[in-house]
Amino acid sequence: MNLERVVFGFFIILTLSLNAAFVAGGLETVAHHNVWILTVTIIVNLVAIGLKLGDRSQTGALLLAAGLVAGLLLVTARIVWIVADPEGGGGPGPAEMADIVSIATGALVANVIATVILVGDTLLSRR
Amino acid sequence: MTPTSDLDRVTMIVLRYMRRPLFVLLFVYSVGILGMALMPGRIVDGETTRMTLFHAFYFFTYTATTTGFGELPNGFSEEQRLWTIFCLYTGVIAWFYAIGSLIHLVQNPHFIQAMDGFRFARKVKGNAEPFVILCGFGDAGSLLARGLSDHRMRAVILDADPERIKALGVRDYTVPMPGLHADASVPKHLLAAGVEHPACRALVALTNDDDVNVKIAVMARHLNPRLRVICRSTSARHEANLRALDNVTVVDPFEIFAQLVSWAIARPALHNLNAWFVGARGVELGVPVQAPRGNWILCGYGRMGSWIHRHLRAHGLEVRIIDPEVEADQIDEGTLIVRAHADHAALTSAAIEDAAGVIAATSGDGDNLSTLLSVTELNPRAFRIVRQNRHENQVAFDAARADLVLQHSLTTARRILKLLISPLVQSLIDWLADRDPAETRALVVRLKAALGEAPPHLWSVRLLPEEAPAVIDHLAAGKGLALGALCVDARAYPARLPCEALAVHRNGASTMLPASTLSLRAGDEVLFCGTPEAESMLRATLHNPYTLDFVVTGEEAPRGYLFAWLDARRRRGPRPRP
Repeated sequence: MNLERVVFGFFIILTLSLNAAFVAGGLETVAHHNVWILTVTIIVNLVAIGLKLGDRSQTGALLLAAGLVAGLLLVTARIVWIVADPEGGGGPGPAEMADIVSIATGALVANVIATVILVGDTLLSRR
Repeated sequence: MTPTSDLDRVTMIVLRYMRRPLFVLLFVYSVGILGMALMPGRIVDGETTRMTLFHAFYFFTYTATTTGFGELPNGFSEEQRLWTIFCLYTGVIAWFYAIGSLIHLVQNPHFIQAMDGFRFARKVKGNAEPFVILCGFGDAGSLLARGLSDHRMRAVILDADPERIKALGVRDYTVPMPGLHADASVPKHLLAAGVEHPACRALVALTNDDDVNVKIAVMARHLNPRLRVICRSTSARHEANLRALDNVTVVDPFEIFAQLVSWAIARPALHNLNAWFVGARGVELGVPVQAPRGNWILCGYGRMGSWIHRHLRAHGLEVRIIDPEVEADQIDEGTLIVRAHADHAALTSAAIEDAAGVIAATSGDGDNLSTLLSVTELNPRAFRIVRQNRHENQVAFDAARADLVLQHSLTTARRILKLLISPLVQSLIDWLADRDPAETRALVVRLKAALGEAPPHLWSVRLLPEEAPAVIDHLAAGKGLALGALCVDARAYPARLPCEALAVHRNGASTMLPASTLSLRAGDEVLFCGTPEAESMLRATLHNPYTLDFVVTGEEAPRGYLFAWLDARRRRGPRPRP
């Protein structure tokens, strides 16, 4: 067992799980989506990106790219949330909520790709 | 005189053929159009109308081609109608004449050949993949083309026989193989076949005529001195000449055949290994043909027979010769010679009853097969080796159930294919031939242990930045790399992949059967034999720096900056207190 793999796998899979948790629910229903989950997802994703810096292998490069795509989309979703909800009161309206959730769903795709690469690489390359 | 290309020739032939029909058309059109424009038309408002030149041309165009729209753009007068009749007949006849000439032209054999040559040259010129020029598409040539196609290597084929090139068109090769019916010893055709093309890897001269082969080799050498030339030659005079040229490899089908026959008898393990490498039918590694030593009878003492005799004598075997035309002074004293065709009587007088085996090596397949029948009757225990001359007789030879059938076009094609695809394999076989037979047996044991019953898969790896980036970085960092470490299976350290390194080529010199401790350097070429799966695993190791590091040290190195930093801290240990 390799500690680095455990740590990196933990963060990658946690990002995916949190992302799915945020996206789940009705597309326009504000009550189904929690802004805290979105924020934590961004932080966990940034940690995963940081852990991949310095990897010289091909799969490492691909994982870094997938992480960057997910990060970009999640941060965009968070910014849309801030812009749509300036008072900090009742949250964004249904139209803005739909935008936020669809962007976060895009990030979910990137996270699924990263997880598939991670699992595939582990299964194929070693023991 | 100015030089001409195939395109010039095509244009020239077309112009020459079409000149007269074009003139006829031009003349008929001119007369018809002028006449039509001059003919007085209907009288409208007391004035005679006439056709404009453009209308006349329009009218003539649809009349001469028998389209016939009617009287356009206005109704005709009687004079115009008279002229119309004239226009119709002359125009149609002129067109038929022109079309007939055109059809005649495309059937002209010179035109067809010039067009073929032009298309062929264009195809070769547009090809960017590496290819081989193959001159001569007989038995050996077509077998070689088949082998190249199996290895996805392109070939450009020249043969003087149009029938063979036509046959080429119906073969199902995996890669395009353009062919041209042309004399390959003419430099123009060699140029069209791409002798100066940057993607051309080699030229193989395989025609049945030695003089033509030498001519092709010499022409190719002059046209492109860097090009590798492989030349079939059976005459000693040409061979000496050709071997003096560098970059030219001489392949003598009779010598190769004789070498294989003598190995089958005297070096069965080596013969078996060689046959296994080239993928011969029904060959199993480590199960060589069991040819007895002792007295052998050689039927046929031509060019091939004399080579076989020489090789067998070199291996210390007793040989008796049956041949109707053999001269006694060609052969050393004490050899039993029977001057007859190899029939019952001749075999009996050559003491077939106590012979270990018979080699039927005449140039006639019928003679060889009938000799086999006689041998089976006179001494069923004798080992029977037979030479098959023509590929089309395969079925008869299969039915004859000889102990070993050798076909010289096939052995030649396989030898050339080895030289083209993996020259290190041939060097290895030659190296083993000069060594003690025990080394061959040891290699067979190693290969069997690594591969089991799997068929051989040969591949070579060059330690260059594009093929092995991880290895280049590893070596550039000053870390050593042993050959054995490369063959380690990263999934099951320290178990090894099912492959064996057969040779390492470095700076023009080869190390055969290198030790696993041999340290590799950038630029080395390593030949492996293993399974296709082992190749993909090994290639992954060459590309991934972490896998490479793992197979060398057995420890997994940290990947990201953070863990690398933590690892370095841990290695330094706790800081000593001041």
